[in-house]
Amino acid sequence: MDDLIFIVAITLKSSPAVLLASLGELISERGGILNLGVEGMMLVGALAGFVTARQSASLALGLCGAMAAAGLLALLHAFLCVHLRADQVISGLAVTILGTGLSSFLGRPFIGQTGLHFSSIGGTWIDGLPLIGPLLAQQNLFGLLCLAAVPALMYLLGRTWLGLYIRAAGQDPAAADAAGVPVAAIRYGCTLFGGCMAGLAGAYLSLAYTPGWKEGMTGGQGWIAIAMVIFATWHPLRALLGALLFGLLNALQFYFQATGIELIPAYILHMLPYLLTVGVLVLVTVLEKPVLGSVPGALGKPFSREE
Amino acid sequence: MKKLAVCLVSLMILSAGLAMAASQDFQVGFVYVSPVGNAGWSWAHDQGRLAVAKMPGVKTAYVEAVAEGQDAERVILNMARKGYNLIFTTSYGYMDPTLKVARKFPHTVFMHCSGFKTAKNMGNYFGRMYQARYLTGMVAGAMTKSRIIGYVAAFPIPEVIRGINAFTLGVQRMNPAAQVRVVWTKTWYDPATEKEAAKSLLDVGADVLTQHQDSPAVQEAAQEKGVYSIGYNSDMSKFAPQAHLVAAVWHWGPFYREMVTQVRRGTWKPKAYWYGLKKGIVDISPMAKTVPAAVQQKVMAVRQAISDGKLKIFAGPLSDQAGKVRLTAGQALTDKQLLGMTWFVKGVVGSTQ
Amino acid sequence: MGMRFKISRRQNPRRLHSGLVLLAAVGLSLVICALLLEQQGKPSLRGLMLLFQGAFGSGWALQDSLIKAVPIFLCSLGVAIAFRLQIWNIGAEGQYALGALGASWVALHFPDLPWFVLQPAMLVAATVCGGLWGLLPAVLKLRMRANEIIITLMLNYIAIFLLDYLVYGPWKDPSSFGFPMTRMFSQNAVVAKIGAGDLHWGILLCLVIGMLVWIFLGFTRLGYEIRACGENVQAARYARMPYAALVLLVMAASGALAGWAGFLEASASLNRLEPSIMAGYGYTAIVVAWLARLNPLFIGLAAFLLAGLRVGVEQLQLELQIPASFGQIMEGLILMTVLGGSFFVTYQIRLLKKE
Repeated sequence: MDDLIFIVAITLKSSPAVLLASLGELISERGGILNLGVEGMMLVGALAGFVTARQSASLALGLCGAMAAAGLLALLHAFLCVHLRADQVISGLAVTILGTGLSSFLGRPFIGQTGLHFSSIGGTWIDGLPLIGPLLAQQNLFGLLCLAAVPALMYLLGRTWLGLYIRAAGQDPAAADAAGVPVAAIRYGCTLFGGCMAGLAGAYLSLAYTPGWKEGMTGGQGWIAIAMVIFATWHPLRALLGALLFGLLNALQFYFQATGIELIPAYILHMLPYLLTVGVLVLVTVLEKPVLGSVPGALGKPFSREE
Repeated sequence: MKKLAVCLVSLMILSAGLAMAASQDFQVGFVYVSPVGNAGWSWAHDQGRLAVAKMPGVKTAYVEAVAEGQDAERVILNMARKGYNLIFTTSYGYMDPTLKVARKFPHTVFMHCSGFKTAKNMGNYFGRMYQARYLTGMVAGAMTKSRIIGYVAAFPIPEVIRGINAFTLGVQRMNPAAQVRVVWTKTWYDPATEKEAAKSLLDVGADVLTQHQDSPAVQEAAQEKGVYSIGYNSDMSKFAPQAHLVAAVWHWGPFYREMVTQVRRGTWKPKAYWYGLKKGIVDISPMAKTVPAAVQQKVMAVRQAISDGKLKIFAGPLSDQAGKVRLTAGQALTDKQLLGMTWFVKGVVGSTQ
Repeated sequence: MGMRFKISRRQNPRRLHSGLVLLAAVGLSLVICALLLEQQGKPSLRGLMLLFQGAFGSGWALQDSLIKAVPIFLCSLGVAIAFRLQIWNIGAEGQYALGALGASWVALHFPDLPWFVLQPAMLVAATVCGGLWGLLPAVLKLRMRANEIIITLMLNYIAIFLLDYLVYGPWKDPSSFGFPMTRMFSQNAVVAKIGAGDLHWGILLCLVIGMLVWIFLGFTRLGYEIRACGENVQAARYARMPYAALVLLVMAASGALAGWAGFLEASASLNRLEPSIMAGYGYTAIVVAWLARLNPLFIGLAAFLLAGLRVGVEQLQLELQIPASFGQIMEGLILMTVLGGSFFVTYQIRLLKKE
């Protein structure tokens, strides 16, 4: 039982960064813009979040700083892709290269500095709760709030006019444009949202999970987030599932070692998220069930009215 | 064609000579495998470089984040061409690249860290970190209540395994019933992964954590959970003020200065330099106040004994994980055996795979 | 608020014009980099000079940059063939890994074969392994309509884990003190150096294959079909071009070329297989292919320039203590400005007078 609680707790705690980033990327892709720059934006967000929180002595401002910095990179991507009709794959790669470089170049003076961070909510009445008490005690407010983004985005995408606009812009921009949807504005907005979420994801790492700035601290989580969007077939709830799965695999890998029972070799565990993503992607197209959601029709394609 | 080649080669030699003559300073180069960072392996070496830079008439430079393999060979080659007099390469994977370059530049001195190959103008060096590990193990053994100590380690290579073994022997000196549980991360530096590994150890009941990793994430995990931690590479108390008990640390400075002096005087010899506590290349940081005075005294006494050569850590009787006797009383492991150590001593829980 | 700008596709982009735009773009990114250096209190002009010197300023520098360019060039050539057909293969990294695996398997199992048998055998193994790794997403795309961008990206990770598994496990050299690397290849398995320098014969392979691909894409029927299909799949299908066969062909070729890069890197540069062989060449290749407009000759040039940037940055570190990440910033900036600039090459903006 204790072991179960431990595994669930560590899963919950190690998945928010991937969750936030993949939710952001999901909205961006739903709007038709593929952004491979998640890793770079997360790094910039992690640095900006840490530095702003430290200088302003406010965690809230830290989060704003993370969103602003990563959002700026996302806007650059949006400008290149929407207005300059650039290739989205290349532009996204450029964002990742630039973001990685900038964060480690500008982050030098902050290496090893300590600053503010979100602490866990344990040590209060929460500990006493039956069953979930010990589980929640290890979490922090930021990580838990991330979960709220899932229903919010489900509502946004499924129940509002904005969600309809976003889906239309990503599915068939020409038809959407004809119906009066401001495709360019929607795409800008979605990409910006994706950037802000990636920034928050980075800030989760530098302000909550492993507080402090460390070069390359995302360790490839941005790329995993992109994979998880596909795994989730562009649906927020399944993105949560994907992020939790990622966290679980991470937790299990060390749990097996620490307890000395190795049910699945570590290499297979490592490979599993990627293998599963390939499997899901193939399954989705074979089944062709609309229930599963599907690839946004115009993903990665620039749109302009004149042509 | 042949003439052209001869011309080119002589030009190359000439310009190399010019480059050497151009600078009067004694130039020392360092090659690091990771960014210098804040507390890790490369940082410790860079502290040593800074100590060398203070010597009069000496100029230092470094290149960081150099991948092992072809990139390393090019960087080392470049330093040699530029007329650097002494080049330190600080990662195991630099061994063959260093050797290749050393053969081409017989007048430059090369020092490779953590390997075993030498040449006429190439030596290797390392520190007996296991001696410091033994001392920190004593502290851990004295402080654990649960008798489970967690060890987050990077790769199952002899250097790391040796450290785990010495640490465990230290633990057992103070607390014979305690066990050391090992989790491999398969990365030298990845804060998030290291933290998850640390947490899995906390879950199985570890109440002291230590690490063979380059980020302070393990320390942070201990601090958050309210248990103890033991640092590595440098004093990590600023990352975990309450948790941090002591750290096994590197002090490369004195050794690097000694090498520079020897090379300048012409007394340097191409051999394996494997210094320990005695020369101060490894040591422990000041212990936290939470460590009882009696324990501190005991640790310092053992430190003196090791330093004086009175105490050998890997001495018989010694049995491995499975209980098989590896060493009978009166025997001790040779340096060669230590360098190739691939088995865990009794008391370690984990696999060497 | 009426439309004040009119954007339209240029009918015939002019060479001179696109050259100027390219220059302006690179210039802009250099200026930004210089400002960044100034902000850090480093001499910007001297920094850029040193970078250039370290990359191309001496015989050695040129040679180092050339060696570094070899794997980038091969991967990029492969990527470009696929991109011509609008197949977005971002899996060069994984195909490169598989090529290295295949070549290493041969080298480790038949070390005593004479070099003129062993090295071609390694090349064939790299071709087969890399090619198959490229074919897999092609088949999935054709059969299951699975998006090749994602599949190739995922296969990169899987390939790297496969490589890690082998060098940490079954292939590990027993005398490596537990370090993750295979045994040294025998001398017969190592592609020789040209004369006394450090350049290896792989560079000749690059020249030959570069020319062949250039001829293939520009002057053969298949090459024409690839381009035609890439520009308009529907029209090409109408003209009964074998789209499916072309997809399989380009992905196999793409994977094989990346595999060659893996073979050369393992054989000539490392003389063994170890995790450090994965240096991101597969991703750089995409950048290079794009910058070179998928033209094999320009790819050679772009690969050389980007390799030079990476080599030159080491000079900056040595002389000015500027961190390695500066090179990444430059790479990202150049890519972005050129990407933005290409808009002005393909499109025309006219100011419409308000009536």
